[in-house]
Amino acid sequence: MTIQHIGGCIGCRECVLSCPCDVIRMDEAVNKAVIAYPADCQICHLCRMYCPVDAITLSPEKTIPVVVSWG
Amino acid sequence: MGVTVKPDLKKLIAIAALVVFVALPILFYALGDFPRRSVLKEAISLLTLVALSLMLGQFFLARSNMGVIELYNLRRIRTVHAVIANFAVSWLLLHPFLVVVPRFFEAGIEPWDAMTMMLTTYSSTGIALGLAAWVLLLVLTVTAIFRIRLIKALHTKYPRWRHFHGMLSIALTTFALLHAISLGRHTDTPMATMLIVVSVVGVAMLLRMYFPQRAGAPEPPSAPNVREQAR
Repeated sequence: MTIQHIGGCIGCRECVLSCPCDVIRMDEAVNKAVIAYPADCQICHLCRMYCPVDAITLSPEKTIPVVVSWG
Repeated sequence: MGVTVKPDLKKLIAIAALVVFVALPILFYALGDFPRRSVLKEAISLLTLVALSLMLGQFFLARSNMGVIELYNLRRIRTVHAVIANFAVSWLLLHPFLVVVPRFFEAGIEPWDAMTMMLTTYSSTGIALGLAAWVLLLVLTVTAIFRIRLIKALHTKYPRWRHFHGMLSIALTTFALLHAISLGRHTDTPMATMLIVVSVVGVAMLLRMYFPQRAGAPEPPSAPNVREQAR
């Protein structure tokens, strides 16, 4: 897991706008951000850094292992 | 000849109050399935939860709870009520600022930008409820601090101010609870249930005193003079 949890979302949409990988979407019914595609998270921390109420928690890993052709 | 051990009721009730209003929120927090963050953030969250719980506990340190007043005496209960108010109310008034304090130590959005965004996100019901609760808490605090001047200026009587204080606290509790349940990171089902049960019981006791339906409902003690009562 990369992006873990969104708790206490106020619905400002900053995380949705800041995520370069479209991981987070708005649940319009409750006006809260939800993790729609967790597998696509690149752990860039932008959503966490731009959340005004610190609602987003990411996994402790700082980066994901980069797959390179030469191993 | 056996020695009868009389349980110290005062100590038992004090311990029970500490368990319900301090230990229980901490326990629910500890058992809750939330991803942990930095020590600063978790400490702020935990102290806010305890402050909210203690603020709800104020309903039980009022004239609506005559059993406790008779046991400990009014002056002592009033002192405890004031001490808890000083801690809990101060902390809860700082709550909007404390939310953004960790931003001073992290990269990303600036604390004041975060604060502005938080306070201007009107699409969120939780934020609107929180703002309403904060304003009510401020009014409650100011009117409590300047109650003697207020009573004199409005040519009213202390029981009337008490009534106003109680009704304002009911409104504040309603908004604060809905805000906490809507946006609280740690208000899962057990925590929310505990907060709701405590609030409902406390508010019911207060309403029972204000609007007695039948004989036998507790009557607030009469006030000999405003200054003595309000001190």
